[in-house]
Amino acid sequence: MFTKDFIFTAVIRFLSFLLLVPLITLSRQTSDTLTSKQLDEVVVTATRNERSMGALPMPVSLITNAQIKTIGSLRLNDVLTEQTGLVIVPQVNAQGNGIQMQGLNPDYTLILIDGEPIIGRYTGSLELSRIAVGSIKQIEIVKGPSSSLYGSDALAGVINIITERPQGNRGNFSTRYGTNNTFDMAGGMSLTGKKMGMYLFGNRFSSDGYDLSPENFGNTVSPFTNYTLNSKITYRISSDMDLTLSGRYFTESQQFNFEVESNGELIRTAGDGTTADWNFNPVFTHRVSEKLKTVARFYSTRYKTKTQLELESDGSPYYKDDFKQSFLRPELNAEYFFNKKSILTLGTGYIYERVQTSRYGDVERRTQETTYGLFQHEWFPTEKFLVIFGGRLDYNSIYGSQFSPKISTRFEVNKKLTLKMSGGVGFKAPDFRQLYFNFSNSAGGGYSVLGTEVAISRLAELDAAGQIEIYLFDPAKLGNLKAERSLSLNVGAHLEVSPSLRMELNTFRNSIDNLIETQAVAITTSGQSIYSYRNILRAYTQGIESDFSFRILKHVSLSFGYQMLFAKDKDVARAVKQGDVYWRDPNTLVTKRLNPTEYFGLYNRSRHTGNVKIFYANIKKGIEANLRIIYRGKFGVGDIRGNIQGQVIPASDRNNNSILDVYDQFVDGYAVVNISAAKTIKQLVRFQLGVDNLFDYTDSIVIPNLPGRLFYASVSCSFSKNKSSNKKLI
Amino acid sequence: MIKSVYSISLLAISSIAFLSCSDDEAPSTPVVSTTFTNLPADPGTGFDPMNGQPTGITGKFTFFNFKTGEIVPNADSATVGWDLGFRATSIIINSNTSGPGTSQVKLVDGIFDALTEAPIDGYFSDNDPSPIAGAPNTNLAIPTGSGQGWYTYDGAAMVNKPTAGKIIVVKTSDGRYAKMEILSYYKDAPAIPTFNNEARYYTFRYVYQPNETRSFE
Repeated sequence: MFTKDFIFTAVIRFLSFLLLVPLITLSRQTSDTLTSKQLDEVVVTATRNERSMGALPMPVSLITNAQIKTIGSLRLNDVLTEQTGLVIVPQVNAQGNGIQMQGLNPDYTLILIDGEPIIGRYTGSLELSRIAVGSIKQIEIVKGPSSSLYGSDALAGVINIITERPQGNRGNFSTRYGTNNTFDMAGGMSLTGKKMGMYLFGNRFSSDGYDLSPENFGNTVSPFTNYTLNSKITYRISSDMDLTLSGRYFTESQQFNFEVESNGELIRTAGDGTTADWNFNPVFTHRVSEKLKTVARFYSTRYKTKTQLELESDGSPYYKDDFKQSFLRPELNAEYFFNKKSILTLGTGYIYERVQTSRYGDVERRTQETTYGLFQHEWFPTEKFLVIFGGRLDYNSIYGSQFSPKISTRFEVNKKLTLKMSGGVGFKAPDFRQLYFNFSNSAGGGYSVLGTEVAISRLAELDAAGQIEIYLFDPAKLGNLKAERSLSLNVGAHLEVSPSLRMELNTFRNSIDNLIETQAVAITTSGQSIYSYRNILRAYTQGIESDFSFRILKHVSLSFGYQMLFAKDKDVARAVKQGDVYWRDPNTLVTKRLNPTEYFGLYNRSRHTGNVKIFYANIKKGIEANLRIIYRGKFGVGDIRGNIQGQVIPASDRNNNSILDVYDQFVDGYAVVNISAAKTIKQLVRFQLGVDNLFDYTDSIVIPNLPGRLFYASVSCSFSKNKSSNKKLI
Repeated sequence: MIKSVYSISLLAISSIAFLSCSDDEAPSTPVVSTTFTNLPADPGTGFDPMNGQPTGITGKFTFFNFKTGEIVPNADSATVGWDLGFRATSIIINSNTSGPGTSQVKLVDGIFDALTEAPIDGYFSDNDPSPIAGAPNTNLAIPTGSGQGWYTYDGAAMVNKPTAGKIIVVKTSDGRYAKMEILSYYKDAPAIPTFNNEARYYTFRYVYQPNETRSFE
């Protein structure tokens, strides 16, 4: 498997790396004593203020930089996929990755960088591989609705990526090479002066992609190269005033080869796609008095993506697709400490969003504006009892106003046991796609998707041109999409039997109304389906998630994570209960009534997911190793109208009732086993070897986002200059 | 071992004999459930293997008569000699704009065998008010459209699936009742149809009550 090219490039890269190390280390005059970083358990996402994680009343989990390094991850999706209760699911046409939290689709989890939303939900969910993990200080995950603080999209929860801040004079450099010619190079540097600090991070990531079905034309994931630049500058204006400027720039290019079906002909196309995003965020903090802290921020971000396909035969243009989005948000926040027992947070802001895309059939810019205000009160009636309540009012130019209240409480029964409860309302606004899409895809049998704001007029045009064969739904009933709303409850407990045995348990229920779903509206004379969107579904997700961690030996710790999930369509569940749903045995063609226990639930949800992880860490010797098993139980595949490399993704329904029941065809459960080992020399250079997906589990059609077995090797070095010691490294 | 097989086959033969015997003897014939396979609903001369679309379609309906259990020649379209007409996903009944008869239908959700009696009322003829106002092809008593009438369109597989538990109860022009359940829209009723299967071939199960009663027993 190691070809000459492989060895050659590896050697070259290693040599250039060897050259780089002394250069960097010399220029930085690093110290050989690196203060081991304490596990900093302060989180900001749950309350928008810095609070100790253990003291919060809602389900919060934290992934530290050290944990990310241990598992050898490169991109955000690699990290999240190993967390209990988070499932990485393929996006539309199974391309890209999104995160399913508490059984809710990727669109319902808000993803933030330093408290500000990442945009570019081009097909609904966010492509998580856009985020390099190298500059991440920690990832905070808050489960349960957080619209009371963050507004739209924070329905299932919030994932907030906290990036490094300037801290001391230090730097790090890492490089990793692995299967599929995947090469990653990252460097970070922090410089601090008396008043000013600066953090800079750069990353280059490239891969040849992979092909899970070589018998078909093109790749499952096409070759790509991307670059990320992050920076943060802090400036202490005075003892009570700070200014932070942070920025990010990301760009990616990818080379595609697609086979497209058009009028019964298979056409080979080739082309490229580019994606870029940038953001800039000045934050001004003023500690007005001991009691009052105010923060002003002005976040702006842009995202654009473009795809161009040409015919392989003669190079003539075949397909063009572009999407541009911008987002602007000034916000003011104040935190007021009345006394030890009460803290009030107030905030107000304005959001301007703009989208322009060829998928809307014109070059017109679509905009929407939101104005909002929020409050939150943290109240400690006793030392052991905490209540946080608050709410947010959003007023939007399209979907009107939304009020999202939330109340959470925490009670410390004794030193070992803490109980938590949190209830609230979350919402997700109809997105631009659901409102303005005017998109036809000639691939995969062909279909069109029309946003509700354009559907009626577009259908009338098609009808007048005699292109509608048949209506499947009355077009007059389309339009006026409402925000999707959830009412959720999380009840949990934290039990610390001993410092080496901890358990975390959470039960949840999310009840969602007005879910927007694609609605098949018509079929054209050429046999293509036309879809639009409607607030049709009412659903619920409920379940239990638990995490156990034990230290079994001095250097060995073990953890278990498990989630049991029930996600059902409320109307289907009711119909099944009433005996109104049937199933027909595909072989005998005999129809039977479906029992409530036979209704499995929503597509793409596994009843059981979990993980088992064993970590070995001997800090003295600088050796660490781990084994992680990530399990996803069986799940069904809905009518997703996509195809992968020309292969139709088969729907699970096999018995003509259009719902997922136990007699349907499921995707089998599977486990992905990852291992890695690392050796750190003098707390300076770290070598890591690993294998992801050790047993090479793949499924080219339903789990195309899971590459096969990946070997990798990485080298990283850290250096720092402590004021206390000026020892030269070399 | 051999002996037991022998005795089972004897039993089978005797039960067949018993059934045919009872058929002959009963004055009012008990109804029988019949499965009609591959009723062509304007399938055309072939189909395009790439997109599953039929080629050479005629636009004509195929007519069916429950009493005879046979297809009625298209030349008899203007008579009351047919009950239902099939063309692609559209099913017409012999009434109003569709034909000279007075047939009516009612869609019932349930288990085919468990429906022992036709409902008293709630029947519609073609051209009666339809569930989807303003849309074409919806003036039929058996509405066309995914999830509206007898089938659901599966966009992933690009096939029409006859909705499980959907029973079509027909009151024919001469006041007799029949119940039917459509089982497949594809030739030879494959267990898992794909768009490569030949479409517009109906397989359906039906029970026709020749007497003037709503009973299907």
